[in-house]
Amino acid sequence: MSLKELFPAKYVTGFIFSLVLTVAALSVLYFDLSYQIGLSILIVTAFIQAGVQLVMFMHVGESEDKISIYTHTYYAVAMGLIIVIGTLFTMIWGYQ
Amino acid sequence: MKEYFSRFAIENADDPMIIGAQISIALVTIGIIVGLTYFKKWGYLWRTWLTTVDHKKIGIMYILAALLMLFRGGVDALLMRAQTAIPDNGLLDAQHYNEIFTTHGVIMILFMAMPFIIGLMNVVIPLQIGARDVAFPRLNAVSFWLFFIGAMLFNISFVIGGSPDAGWTAYFPLASNDYSHTVGMNYYAIAIQIAGIGTLMTGINFITTIMKMRAPGMTLMKMPMFTWSILITNLIIVFAFPVLTIALALMTMDRLFGTHFFSIDSGGMDMLWANLFWIWGHPEVYIVILPAFGIFSEIITTFAQRNLYGYKSMVFSMVAISALSFVVWTHHFYTMGHGVVVNGFFSITTMAIAVPTGVKIFNWLLTLWKGKIHFTVPMLYAMGFIPIFVIGGVTGVMLAMASADYQYHNTMFLVAHFHYVLIPGTVFGVLAGFTFWWPKIFGFSLSERIGKWAFWFIAISFNVTFFPLFISGLSGQARRMYTYSENAGFTIYNMISFVGALGLAFGFLLIVYNIYWSTRYAKRHLTEDPWNGRSLEWATHSPVPEYNFAIIPQVDSTEAFWDQKEHGKALFKGNIEPIHMPNNSGQPFIMSAIFFVFGFAMVFSMWIVAIISAIGIFACMWYRSFENDHGHYIPVEEIEATERKSGVIANED
Amino acid sequence: MKIDHSVPKEYATEENRLKIFGFWIFIGAEVALFGTLFATYLTLVGHTATGPTGSEIFEIGPVLIETFVLLTSSFLIGLSVHAMRLGNKKAMLTFLGLTLLLGLTFLGVEIYEFTTYVHEGAGLQTSAFTAALLTLLGTHGAHVTLGLFWGLAIIIQVSKRGITPETANKSFIFSLYWHFLDVIWIFIFSFVYLKGLM
Repeated sequence: MSLKELFPAKYVTGFIFSLVLTVAALSVLYFDLSYQIGLSILIVTAFIQAGVQLVMFMHVGESEDKISIYTHTYYAVAMGLIIVIGTLFTMIWGYQ
Repeated sequence: MKEYFSRFAIENADDPMIIGAQISIALVTIGIIVGLTYFKKWGYLWRTWLTTVDHKKIGIMYILAALLMLFRGGVDALLMRAQTAIPDNGLLDAQHYNEIFTTHGVIMILFMAMPFIIGLMNVVIPLQIGARDVAFPRLNAVSFWLFFIGAMLFNISFVIGGSPDAGWTAYFPLASNDYSHTVGMNYYAIAIQIAGIGTLMTGINFITTIMKMRAPGMTLMKMPMFTWSILITNLIIVFAFPVLTIALALMTMDRLFGTHFFSIDSGGMDMLWANLFWIWGHPEVYIVILPAFGIFSEIITTFAQRNLYGYKSMVFSMVAISALSFVVWTHHFYTMGHGVVVNGFFSITTMAIAVPTGVKIFNWLLTLWKGKIHFTVPMLYAMGFIPIFVIGGVTGVMLAMASADYQYHNTMFLVAHFHYVLIPGTVFGVLAGFTFWWPKIFGFSLSERIGKWAFWFIAISFNVTFFPLFISGLSGQARRMYTYSENAGFTIYNMISFVGALGLAFGFLLIVYNIYWSTRYAKRHLTEDPWNGRSLEWATHSPVPEYNFAIIPQVDSTEAFWDQKEHGKALFKGNIEPIHMPNNSGQPFIMSAIFFVFGFAMVFSMWIVAIISAIGIFACMWYRSFENDHGHYIPVEEIEATERKSGVIANED
Repeated sequence: MKIDHSVPKEYATEENRLKIFGFWIFIGAEVALFGTLFATYLTLVGHTATGPTGSEIFEIGPVLIETFVLLTSSFLIGLSVHAMRLGNKKAMLTFLGLTLLLGLTFLGVEIYEFTTYVHEGAGLQTSAFTAALLTLLGTHGAHVTLGLFWGLAIIIQVSKRGITPETANKSFIFSLYWHFLDVIWIFIFSFVYLKGLM
């Protein structure tokens, strides 16, 4: 089997894109950025990379159930955010 | 040797109740073993019940367990009411009282309400959607046995080691080793953890079942309302239970491994426990109420002989309730000291959640309007539910307001509120569902006469028990206190409450008597459709054959069975073909038994035993991975014979 | 079992489709699980008591190795599933084996990381911060460990039984699990290590 068949473009692109995003996230350590900007870069790069994994590697949209699975994934992300942000709100920010 | 075994002893081991419990447990266990041996029923027990993967049998086992736990939780309740009925009563000391309200709460919510609901879910859902089983029958069995083992582990705490005593909410630092040094809270953390894993698996199982195994033609908006309520309930389960898993794991680590998540020193944050517990805890109460709403929708439509008013708004209101249920949790600890923004935000979301519930109440009332109402026992529960639950609901809106809650919090007003939503909601719901679907499972109905007496005793006694607590709570009676002095002025309310509790006990005993009486005297196999039902579960034989439907029904509307009866729309078209069914398996039971050993070992910090049993659990999973079990086929002749024996051949078109 | 030959083998039977769907639901539950661990960590990150802070113990070197190793293993398991869909059993097993090897490497570096922390006075019982940190990292590591055994079971089954609808289904579901673990690591990398060192 040829290399082109075993290493499809979609996966290679996804891999390289993930590496790029990782390096971009590292920038918060090597540049003198404010806390807000640094945190924003981390949030953006993390979520984009998670999306790359989801779409390009996990084939989230490939089956007949894609609407259910996408809905479920959005719901799960919302849940995760509610748990994290809700906890920080109630435990820390709410006291200031 | 004696020192080693002394760790299993209870602290005040000469208490008559504990000795009595130890003796009865021993006697009952011996009695069961002797009975099974004498009647040569071990094989039957293993083949038919311990290894079953049939959703109907699993459902029956869940409900049986729930009824037993209802008894234990009820005894706890009676003891509490008896203790507080008289000022400075000596029936229970403070330690005992703490253990009793803790076990009452844990058992009623986690080992009575949850299994009752999951049991009804198991029995009914595949039938209502026209399927032959759930998506993952083997996993379903694992769910049940893990629950069972968790319940057993929790119950055994009373006689080995000591019951948990920090409230069902187990707040830190009280729940930490410093203030709860017996193993009781270890039992709490580990037993609930094990049962919780089973529940999470149920969530995954039923979402998959409902989303992927509905009969042809049954779109999401044509599903029965009970099925909708269960779909949404299981979505809540999938997202809420992992939070509990982590919270309990962190508690276990604090208690067993000396970590500092919730401790007062070394940076721990005791309020974090309350936060994580309630992120799970609030969705949990919606997990137990939404199925009841679904059951009442089925019952009200059946016994008013009308289809449900506002189907779409019923669905959307449940979706709204489930979404909102995840953003209200801080209302359980408004008084813990966070500022106005936090309390304000959660007050608003908590009040908002009353709106979709109100929509449902109005839809039920509008369904009844101009209907032909039959006051059967299930319908009586539904009719009792509507006004009494609303009282609970509006007191909830009162509590929702954070500033006012500073007055109500942790008084009997709160206790009355949540019992006014849990009992008319969840308990009436499962009792109604139990009565409603009983004939489908067993082939005979429960006695209407005895059932009506039970309902009236329960409904009236419930109000006698809990209404006075609104008043005493507003007067300042705090909860979770083992006694009050005469001049506090609460005596009259507590005494009335105790009388009500006796009435409730009698009502529940009537239900047990009904089961006995009907099993003995009720006429069998009269009809498969005793209530003139509307949905697909009534289109099967009673009791239901192993494969549920000989031919999968084709559905065209929200009330497919009703349409077949009223308008002649055929449900079962085509020929009978061999049906593929899963095989029984002993693995769920065996793996759960090993989980019990693991749990017990962890409770008592017996690390070697814990590690070995943990390896055992993974060994079971490894074995399962390599297993080549593909089930069996039921041949056409056998299906036809079963159908003939049950009275009707399935292809009627 | 009716086999649908127009879709990849892992989707080809009804049971297969149910299992894949069910596993996606499970992943949603795991998001809530790790979300709770993150919430706990981010709440307790400042609660270092007398123990060290993150910036005092985190070393970017091992963290970068862990990140690169896990990311590559995620790439490789994707290639394994792709090879499986082409019917190439040898390539599939090779990629799967390499994935597990990299997973083992990840664990090795993480164990080295943990022992270093303990030697530096950041143990499980030191402070709320260390407890939360080690529990979050440890839970992820435990998931990876379970994955190694699961992956090994699949390698054995595929080499013995070939690529069948059953083994394809198991392999695909395993790949979903493995990718998910990398997604979690992305968040750990960003919000534990990078944020801690910022």
